[in-house]
Formats: sequence, C-alpha cells, structure tokens
Amino acid sequence: MSGLSLEQVSRRSGDRVLLEGLDLAVAPGECLALLGPSGCGKTTTLRLVAGLDPCSSGRILLNGEDITHRPAGERQVAMVFQSYALFPHLDVGENLALGLRSRGVPRPERDRRIAAVLELLELTPLVRRRPAQLSGGQRQRVALARALLRQPRIVLLDEPMSNLDARLREDLRPELRRLLCGGEPPVLYVTHDQQEAMGMADRIAVLQAGRLEQVGGVRELYTDPRTRFVADFLGRPAINWLPAEGGRVLGVRPEHLRPQAEGGIAARPLRREWWGHQPLVWLETPHGTLRMLLPAGGELLDYLMVGWRAENELWFDADGRRIDGAGPWRQQGRARAV
Amino acid sequence: MSELALDLLLMLPALLLLAAVFLLPLLRAAWLSLHASSVVTGLVAVPNGGANWRRLLGDERFLQDAWQTLRFAGVSVALELLLGLALALLLHRPSRGRGALRALVLLPWALPTTVMALGWRWILNDPHGPFNALLSRLGLPTYGFLTTPATTWLATVMADVWKTTPFVALLLLAGLQSIPADLVEALKLEGAGRLTILRRLTLPLLAPWIGLALLFRLAQALGVFDLIQVLTGGGPAGSTESLAVYAYRQALRFLDFGYGSTVLMATFALLLLPGLAWLLLQNRLPRRNA
Amino acid sequence: MAPRLSRLLRRLFTLLAAGLLLLLPAARGAPTAAPVIPVRVLLPAPFYDATVGALSDFRRSHPGLDIELVRGPLDTDTIADLAVGSLLLGEAPYDVLMVDITWTPLFAAAGWLEPLEPLVGEGVLEAMEPGARAGNAFDGHLWRLPFSGDTGLLYWRTDLMARPPRTTEELVSISRDLQRQGKVRWGYLWQGRQYEGLSCVMLEAIHAFGGRWWNPALGRTELERPAAIKAAALLDGLVRDGISPAAVAGFAENEALQVFAAGEAAFLRNWPYAWKVIEQGGGPVVGHVGVAPVVVAPGQEAGGTLGTWGFALLRGSPHPREAAAAIRWLTGPEMQRRLAVEQGYAPTWTALYEDPQLQKAAPLLKAQRAALAAGPLLRPLTPLYAQLSDVLQRQINGMITGQTAPAAAMAGAQQRSEAVVRAMTGAGG
Repeated sequence: MSGLSLEQVSRRSGDRVLLEGLDLAVAPGECLALLGPSGCGKTTTLRLVAGLDPCSSGRILLNGEDITHRPAGERQVAMVFQSYALFPHLDVGENLALGLRSRGVPRPERDRRIAAVLELLELTPLVRRRPAQLSGGQRQRVALARALLRQPRIVLLDEPMSNLDARLREDLRPELRRLLCGGEPPVLYVTHDQQEAMGMADRIAVLQAGRLEQVGGVRELYTDPRTRFVADFLGRPAINWLPAEGGRVLGVRPEHLRPQAEGGIAARPLRREWWGHQPLVWLETPHGTLRMLLPAGGELLDYLMVGWRAENELWFDADGRRIDGAGPWRQQGRARAV
Repeated sequence: MSELALDLLLMLPALLLLAAVFLLPLLRAAWLSLHASSVVTGLVAVPNGGANWRRLLGDERFLQDAWQTLRFAGVSVALELLLGLALALLLHRPSRGRGALRALVLLPWALPTTVMALGWRWILNDPHGPFNALLSRLGLPTYGFLTTPATTWLATVMADVWKTTPFVALLLLAGLQSIPADLVEALKLEGAGRLTILRRLTLPLLAPWIGLALLFRLAQALGVFDLIQVLTGGGPAGSTESLAVYAYRQALRFLDFGYGSTVLMATFALLLLPGLAWLLLQNRLPRRNA
Repeated sequence: MAPRLSRLLRRLFTLLAAGLLLLLPAARGAPTAAPVIPVRVLLPAPFYDATVGALSDFRRSHPGLDIELVRGPLDTDTIADLAVGSLLLGEAPYDVLMVDITWTPLFAAAGWLEPLEPLVGEGVLEAMEPGARAGNAFDGHLWRLPFSGDTGLLYWRTDLMARPPRTTEELVSISRDLQRQGKVRWGYLWQGRQYEGLSCVMLEAIHAFGGRWWNPALGRTELERPAAIKAAALLDGLVRDGISPAAVAGFAENEALQVFAAGEAAFLRNWPYAWKVIEQGGGPVVGHVGVAPVVVAPGQEAGGTLGTWGFALLRGSPHPREAAAAIRWLTGPEMQRRLAVEQGYAPTWTALYEDPQLQKAAPLLKAQRAALAAGPLLRPLTPLYAQLSDVLQRQINGMITGQTAPAAAMAGAQQRSEAVVRAMTGAGG
C-alpha cells in the first residue's frame, strides 16, 4: 500500500494522553489537513510522523514500510515549522546548504540545487541576508525552499502560515499547493484555521482531545458532519443549536435559516452585522439567540418568523453523535410572540 | 532640555554611586602608586616620582606572580569552559530527576571559597588528609600534594575548577535553553548527527554565552585571592602566589601602601584585558539575532 | 579628598559605635550606680578563651573599671588583618590590642601605638626574667608588656632515650638509630610551611651555628654568611635524609604536633602550649614527653626563638590610664600563674619561676626558665621585619621542597633582603 498510514497510533506523556488510537491514511500527493483546537493532538501527530517524538503504541507505515522506529533524520521528512526554524546565525544560502552538507551532498550539486530553488522561490537577491533581515513572507519562502531541497518522502507543515497576515496567507495558498502537493509525497498540514484547511487540503481530519472525530472531503465534513463537535467547529458564522426532547439537539446553519411568512419560530432581530456582502442577523427567539445569514440584499422587518428546510437539519444525540433520519423539528408548545 | 542632557541627568545617581564605590578607590590607588607610603614614611604619602613603577618592572616576584596568575587563569578557565559545557549539555537533556541533579551540581558553587579551600587543604593534607590516609592504608607512601610546586599548582586549578564549573555550566545551560528547540529539530530532520548539531548550531548560538562566561571567569580568576590565600598561602616558595595576594601582602602585611597600590594598579590593568577583548569582539562580530 | 574621606569614615564609625552604645544599657538591663569605664581589648581566640574566666577577679580588684575582651579570629594572619583594617580607618574601636612580638616595631612605626613607659614606669620590666624583657621596646620607647615568656622548645620522647640531645649531630644520630630500629617513623618534626613559623625555626638554626639573621647596627641581614648556609644545609639535610618527612614543608605548629602526638616521631620543635595539648590529647606518647632547649652545633649556646604575644595601648584611646591598668593586670603575676598552670605558657616574672608551689604545678617551668636564661633569640627588630621574614620563608621553603640548594637559597635570601631594605629606605625615608 502506498502513501502514509497510521495504525492505532497513541502517544502518552506521563499520565497525559496526547493521542489515542489514531487511524489515518494519506495517499501519495494528497494533502490532508489536521484540524482542531489547540491541544487536540494535531501537532503531536505531526511530531510522531516526523520521528521527533516516539509513539507509545501503534505503527506508522510509509509505502508499506514500517517507519515507527526510524530515527527522524532517516525518514526523509521535510517539515515547515510554525516559526520557520531558520538558523539565525546563517544567511539564506547557508541555511539552505546546512542540511545538504550534513547529508554529504557534494559541493557542485549542492550549489546547483540551491541556485535552482532560490530561483524558483525568487529568493536569489536575498541569498546573503540573515533571517533577521527578512520579512515574514520571505522567511516563509526560505523555509519552503529548505523543505523542497530535502527531496522528501513525506511533507509536514506545522501551521506554516499562522505568522503571516491574512491577505498574504490567501495569496500563498495556491503557491504552497503548487510546490508541495500533488507530487509523490503525502502532505500533512496542521492548522487550527478551518478556512486555511478548506483552502489547502484535499481532505480534512478533525481532531479533538487526542481523538479523531471525522475525516473526509471538505464538502463532506460541512454537509455531513458525523459529530456535533465537527458541525460546531466547521463553518462560520457558527451553526445554530436548538435543544429538542430526549437530550437531542438540532443544528441549523445560519445560511439555512430564512424569513418566512408563516409557521416557524417567532423572532425579533437584535442586531445586524455584515458578513462580506451578506447581512448576518442576530435573532432573539424563544429558543435562544439564533444567527441568520441573509442572501445579499435581503430585507428585514421588525418582527418575523424564521424557518428552514427539513433537509438542512442536522440532528445529534445526547453524546454528540449524528442521528440520521430524525426530525423534522417540531416546536414544543405554542409559538409565542416576542 | 535636550534628550542627551536628560539622559545624563537620569543616569547621574548611578554614575555617582559607581564613582564613589569604584572610581574613587581606583583613583586613590593610582595616586598612591606615585608616592612612598609605608612605615618608613610613617604612613605619610611622599611623592617619589615613578620609583614604585620602576621597582615594579625590576621586581622578579611581580613578574613571577603575573605569570603565575595568567597561567592559573588561563588553564582553570579553559578547563571550566570545557567541563561546564559538557555539564550544561548533560543537564540540558531531558531526564528523570533533572531538577535535583541541577541543584546538586550547583552545590560547590554555593560553598564559600574559604570553606572550600580549607576543605581541600584538609583533603590533600600530608599525612593526615583522607587522600593520604587512603594511600597509607594501601601501604603506599603519602604524597605532599601541597608541598610540591607542580601538584600544589594543580591543586589550586582543581579547586577552582571544582568550585566554578557549576557557575559556567549554569550560565551555558541558560544559553542552551534560549536556543529554540525547533532549530535543533529542524537540523535533526535534515539528517544531521549530534556532532554536526553541536558544531554547526549549538556552539555558534551559544557563542555569546560562552563569551560572557569567559569574561566573568577570566576577570575573577585573574583577581584570584581567597582561594590561594587559604589553600596554599602562595606557597610552596611562592610558586602559587597570585598578583592579588602579592598586593595584599605589600599593603596589609608590610604596610607598604605605595608599592602595594602599584601592584594593585598593575593587577587591575590585567583584569581590564578580558573586558577590553570583549568590547573589541562585540564590535567586530556582526550583530546576530538569536 | 583623602583626609576628608577618612574623616567621613571616622564619623560614620563613631556614629555606629554611638548607636551600639545606646543599645548596650538596654541590653544589659540594670543600670549601674557609678559609670564604669570599659577597656576594650582585641585578642586572638585562644588567648581570649584562656583569660576570659579570670575577668571577675579584675572587676573585684578594680572597682569602676571593666575589661571587655573581644574574641578575635583564631588565625594570626586574620587577626592582623582585622587589627590593621580597623587601625587604618583611624579610630580603632579598641583600647588595647594583643600584638605578636614581630608586629611591635611595625605598628609603632606606623604610629598606631602609645608609648607605655609614662603610664607604667620605666622599671616595670626589671622584675622579669632578662630573656623575657626583650622585644617590647623599640626606638627608645616601651610599646607593650609581654603576656608570656614563650620560646621555641625541643620536645623529646622519654620512653625512647635517657636524655635529650644537645647538639644537632646528636639529634640526627639518635633519630637515625630509632628510625632504623623501627621505633619511630620520623626523627624530627618542625615547621616548614611558608609562614612565620618557618622563620622562627630558621632563626634557631642560624644561631645554632653561631650566626645571626640581622645586624641591627648596620641595618642589614647576614644570610650569606657560612653560619646561615650551614643552618640552611641542616634543614635541607633533615628532609633529604628522611629524618624529617618531606611533609614538613607543609607543616605549621599543629600539623607537626599531631604527628608527634600520634607517636610517629622522636623529636618535635614547638612552643610551650604544645605540652598541654599533647598531655590532654590522650595519645600514645602521653607521659613520655620531655622538654629541652633546642639543639645547637657543638660549642654553641642554646636558645629558642622568643615568640611572645603582649598587650599594646592604641593611640587615641580615650582612657589610656585605665587601659594601662588593664594591661598591667592582663600581664600580671596572677594571670601568668594561672596561665602557666592551665595552659603551660611560660611566665615572664622571675618571682613566679622561684615559687615552689608553681614549680610543682607547672612541670615545664624549669626548662622554660633555662630557655629564657640562655638568651632567647629575637627576630630582626625592624619595621621591615614582615618583608624580611617573607623573603626568608620563600627561600627556605623553596629549598626544602627541592627547588634550590642551600647556598643558592641563602644567596637569594640575602640579595632579596638587601633589595627590600634598599627599596624601602631609598624611597623617601
């Protein structure tokens, strides 16, 4: 089997469980984003794959070969750190050369490959600068260059863009994809930013408290979340939650709420903010505050009724697991005006 | 008020304090070094031109002590740096009981020098010290560690190394901890071995800390006094006497303050050397941002 | 600037002292009716311990007067530092200072001491053994009264020989025999560390061959003379031939005493205090130790180095008369009787040596008197003594640790001593 696969991988440090029984497969050339809040185990996973920390149990396979106990230096991993981890005492050229040198790549080949990657990333004029003399974006490009020079079998990216401003991040996504994804090595991309995950990854694995919640395509996770956590974590503005009988909860995304003439829930608009060109309306209802994303140009009255289509309902049981085929939602008691 | 004037005004109290505790005694010593002031003059300072300085240049004992002081400082500081670095690297590795180990290693440094020197003097005593007692019990002849110039000198170096290596190790440990872990990991992922990481990454980034340790230790070792005074008294036959001990003898034992101040000023000039070297090095090296 | 600074320091010191004095009555509790004048005396710890018990006698016999003893450090060098440090500040917080015999000319020349003869009378020393009178006057004034008449002595083993050796040759041959028979490991123990004790040993050796260290008339040392070279050769030979251990090069009084008390040697050169220490130590030689004058070359007079402490009055004491009374008492016959019995210190007063009761209670008395009568040896009586002694110590210590031969060591000692005298007296004196 080709690509990277993790089988029942766990990591414990003292009494703390950092990762528990993770099963994950990444195909060659596929970019898989590890998404989750801080402390969820995504960076731990990356470090285990890199070989920087040992697995407490489980196996890591690369193209069918067990690399669980391979030293980090032998795994042929390229890793881009959140801090970029550029060597502050060396200039750009030396930063790129150090790894090649310690792997014993002869001088002429070294020079040739460095020149090529400098050219590719438009770093040639900066070759004699030290990291402290570079901008954030330039540093990130140096870190990328170093990763490319590794000729990796696995590519690991640990929040590689979190130190850049939002605009730059968006601009860089296609470049990052072009350079790192789609080749032979599988790519693991750690981020806490769902926008970035959705923009970069072919598939997303959502982690929480050391466990895998769900893994799947971007659309799949959005439209068909298997747990309440995934539904809640993905999608902005965040999903609305409506309590139902038996401890169940109903999730309805803000863009699926809409004003309707009749039926539904009585609501009073509290305030309105702009979500891009769409107005986001905060509604006071008998079931709590709801968020409704209106189509562009939508009009609002002082009092209104809101509803949604049954097919947009996402039902979860008391343990946060998805229930298929429940609903539709019925209002408990009589609707009362607010 | 210009900014410079304000700066100076704000610094004035600190400058005054420095002048009072540091500059005044120094100026006084410099002034005294141009005077005869001893029991022969009834402790009154009588100008004697550069007689003290001329005497210094022809003073075999001063030259011998200067050489001995340099040799002591050079060898002990070099050893302290090597051992301190090794110890720091060892303490930096994550291991069980690291905190306790760190505290333990610091113990020698926490001990007052005089106590430490007395301890070594007793340990090396011929014939009653524990070391010689052991030799006796093994049927071997006892050895006069503190009565043979070569071994006495080694004993002073060893005692100094024993006491101050923890200080160097602590300083370098702080330096090691200031190196971001991901730099080391990044190089490790590149396939670099431990030695390469040490040589290409750790040592270059530790350089400012090593420089700092060197500065502290050299200044201290060149002014060594209490260790020598207590452990060997400068003996045997003056073979371990340091400049500071000589200056002290001249002033407080012989009550020759004129010449004592001269020796002191010469010692002070020697102490300035590492400081000056440091300043030069700081200006020479390109600024780095670790 | 300098005098102003020292005045400032002096004021600060006075202020501190005043503050302490204000606190004192409160600490003591009951106020006394008449003001008591305290005389503050700084002395080394062993002498403090030896004398503090007798203070109540003083208070009884001197109403309106009190002695406050200040227990200084144990070590001679350290107490010198303390004394010199406080004297340099100007007003020392003491009235009376206990000084070693070698400090007297130095401190007197520095102007720190007050002459005693106007306060205690010119003839005060006349009731003392002649040998004990030396070393207290310098430059025509009396600067201190001696606390004891201690001289260097030869300790010998009564269980190993019938009588002590008189000459250096006897000492060497007895030592050899005993060592050969395996009765002792070493023959003769002395002080060879680079410190003042070595100067005392060397002084005795120089005189043992009829020479002298210092010519006071010419103000120069005589260390290049044959007697001094023979003396150096004697000490060198003792170590080379294994009669003394090589370790003597690191021995001060106590190290030598301990090896002797452990029964490892036939002879020991030490001061009177060693007797009590050995007897009370309970080692294998207790009851087998005799005391004799130090050995000399055939035909020479025996004499040990005079190594006494004494009390001096500090210049600027606010009540010199009372301080003088305290000095008289501290060095008086009653104190010395007590110290002879309890510590084995040699008295200075002739009357004590002739007291049959004391003769019984202090077995060393006879040997001590003989040593004083033989004319004890004085170290050079000059303010430059500390430098001269330092030179000699370095040379002799270098010789016995094998770095130079005796003749070269003494030539070096002479040359360096002359350089010291030249540098010091040529520099504006």
